Amino acid sequence: MSTPSKPLPQTYDHWLSEHSQELQNARKKSFESSSGIPVDTLYTPEHLQKSGWDYQRDVGYPGQAPYTRGFTPGGYRQHLWKMEMYAGFGSAEEANERYRYLMSQGSTGGISIALDLPTQVGYDSDHLMARDEVGQIGVALTSLDDVERVFDGIPLDQVGHIFSTANCIGPIVCAWLLALYEKRGTPTADCIVQLQNDPIKEYIARGTQFLPIESAVKLTTDMIEYCRTAAPEWLPISISGSHMKQAGATCVQEAAFTICNGITYVESCLARGMKIDDFGHVIELHFCTEMDFFEEVAKYRAVRKVWARLVRERFGGTTAKAQHFRLHAATSGRPLTAQQPLNNIARITLQALAQILGGCEQTRTASFDEALGIPTQEAARTSIRANQIIAFETGIPDTVDPLGGSYYLENLTIEYEKRIDAIIAQVDKMGGSLVAVKDGFFQRALAQGAYREQCAVENGEQVVVGVNRFQSEEGQPVPTFKVDPGAAERQIAKLIQVRASRDADAVAKGLQRLKEDCLAKRNIMPATLECVKAYATIGEIADVWREVFGVYVPESVRF
Amino acid sequence: MTNNQAAVGQRPIRVVLTKVGLDGHDRGVKVIAQALRDAGMEVIYAGLRRTPEEIARIVLEEDADVLGLSILSGAVVPLTRRVVEALKAQQLEDVVLVVGGIVPEPSRVELNGMGVTGIFTPGSSLKAIIDFIQAGVANHRTYQESK
Repeated sequence: MSTPSKPLPQTYDHWLSEHSQELQNARKKSFESSSGIPVDTLYTPEHLQKSGWDYQRDVGYPGQAPYTRGFTPGGYRQHLWKMEMYAGFGSAEEANERYRYLMSQGSTGGISIALDLPTQVGYDSDHLMARDEVGQIGVALTSLDDVERVFDGIPLDQVGHIFSTANCIGPIVCAWLLALYEKRGTPTADCIVQLQNDPIKEYIARGTQFLPIESAVKLTTDMIEYCRTAAPEWLPISISGSHMKQAGATCVQEAAFTICNGITYVESCLARGMKIDDFGHVIELHFCTEMDFFEEVAKYRAVRKVWARLVRERFGGTTAKAQHFRLHAATSGRPLTAQQPLNNIARITLQALAQILGGCEQTRTASFDEALGIPTQEAARTSIRANQIIAFETGIPDTVDPLGGSYYLENLTIEYEKRIDAIIAQVDKMGGSLVAVKDGFFQRALAQGAYREQCAVENGEQVVVGVNRFQSEEGQPVPTFKVDPGAAERQIAKLIQVRASRDADAVAKGLQRLKEDCLAKRNIMPATLECVKAYATIGEIADVWREVFGVYVPESVRF
Repeated sequence: MTNNQAAVGQRPIRVVLTKVGLDGHDRGVKVIAQALRDAGMEVIYAGLRRTPEEIARIVLEEDADVLGLSILSGAVVPLTRRVVEALKAQQLEDVVLVVGGIVPEPSRVELNGMGVTGIFTPGSSLKAIIDFIQAGVANHRTYQESK
């Protein structure tokens, strides 16, 4: 080592002034993160001091409050993160085949069911609005019969976990699975069911809402309440930020808006007399990981910290268990490009790494051909492999929270916490997240964010490799998966058969009871369960809801 | 101002944007709405889950020059076909039709076969979409005036 020619710089500012010449002409005029947080040249202990950072209070030890470093003491030393793949398309039989394939390839996250759009908005496959969309972006489920086919020959106790993006139809899918378990004699504890059951973000970003928002939240609350006794191991809600982020929310907004929606659901449960100590541990918060690497890692650390604090200070939680919510992360399909699609393998790997370094226990990974259509088997397998390479070849999972203590990351984590708290206070002041949705507050933030980003990409401020820089002329041929066009017809034929063969009186009786329970504001789960067991269809059940609660009406907006 | 805008003249281009079918992802269509607005157009975003018949009615009522369909589900070909038929039924074939979303190559060929040429997939530039619309409307208006 050479001897320094002048005394060592003693402060960050001093160091900056000493090197002002060399630090001039940086690549960019100013550096900021994707959420607009200024990024300094360098981070030092002084930065942490300035933020009032305190190791014991702000970081602490894994498995202990404030949970910045994770919920379990050993991190990935005991269990690697769960590696899920999202799949499901066409008919129940095709979905069944794909699930068996993914399980045989080492997907450890259980079965994740993508539902087609008619199912998600409560229409039967033969509804006029369902034409052309049956089985297109997921599997069509119309009655318990379809659910039985999806799981045909798949031993539930070996699956371990079933997930589905059932939101406004959450209670129906929940009832189907309860009925399936009952018929097979499978204890609910043998295979954990997890349904998204988060309608609020549908109104903000995802778009499968079909009831007035208050009624949708009531149904969600019914399901959470019912599951606490009928299937206490199940995870009855996954409050999701991922769709809001993909619709234009910044990473900070994703975290904050999700927590705001979470507050609404929890307070709806508390208003019924439920106790957070009894259901805090079955709540999941779900986010997606995009390309701003350190922001993503900071987000996951800050979210654990903020939510656990809300449980203690706002929801009246008194146990560690109530604070230990499920933190679920998925790599985002949005940064994936149709141009040079193999580049997406690198993007997926970096995103997967960020969510792993953020300490997420349960993760899902996108496929490199998603921007082109439904993933092929090869692409789905490659994504599992990316996770396995991180898990088994890099040594990254061998120590807990390996980035903890990084001056930059700790500073960013503190900044995240502050910004999330500020947005929660703002939404509280508006009257909560339902008021904010009706006012269009979240939606405007998303639309503006999406437009800002698109403009930044087009003027070259934000680089997307292969899109606005480093384009190449020759296309990379990537096979795209096509849904069997006959799948919809077969699905409808089966539905007609189900309607003809079931006990019509039992269906009518169930639907009548459901209507009465809706009108009397009782928990709709028992009646919904009776309906699905009688093979009432999703359209019939959702029509009762629409009849009693009213329907969501789209609005024209002038720009 | 581009040449195309000059050719279009004073009346701002009116655009109806909508989702069609059940797909509710509207990030893309809202980005386009803001871009077209900033390019001087009048933009009406009709929202989610509109039927082809409703869409044709809105285009007629709004006297739109352009209809933009945003479709991110796999059903782009049949959904577009129904809208094209609904437009025909209202004698609105001259409306400039633009389709945005996930359009695999075979679907693009089918859409072209239906006469739909304004197809924009992820990664398309806002400028390309604005240019296409301005040129399409300019051509159409020139043709109308020459009749």
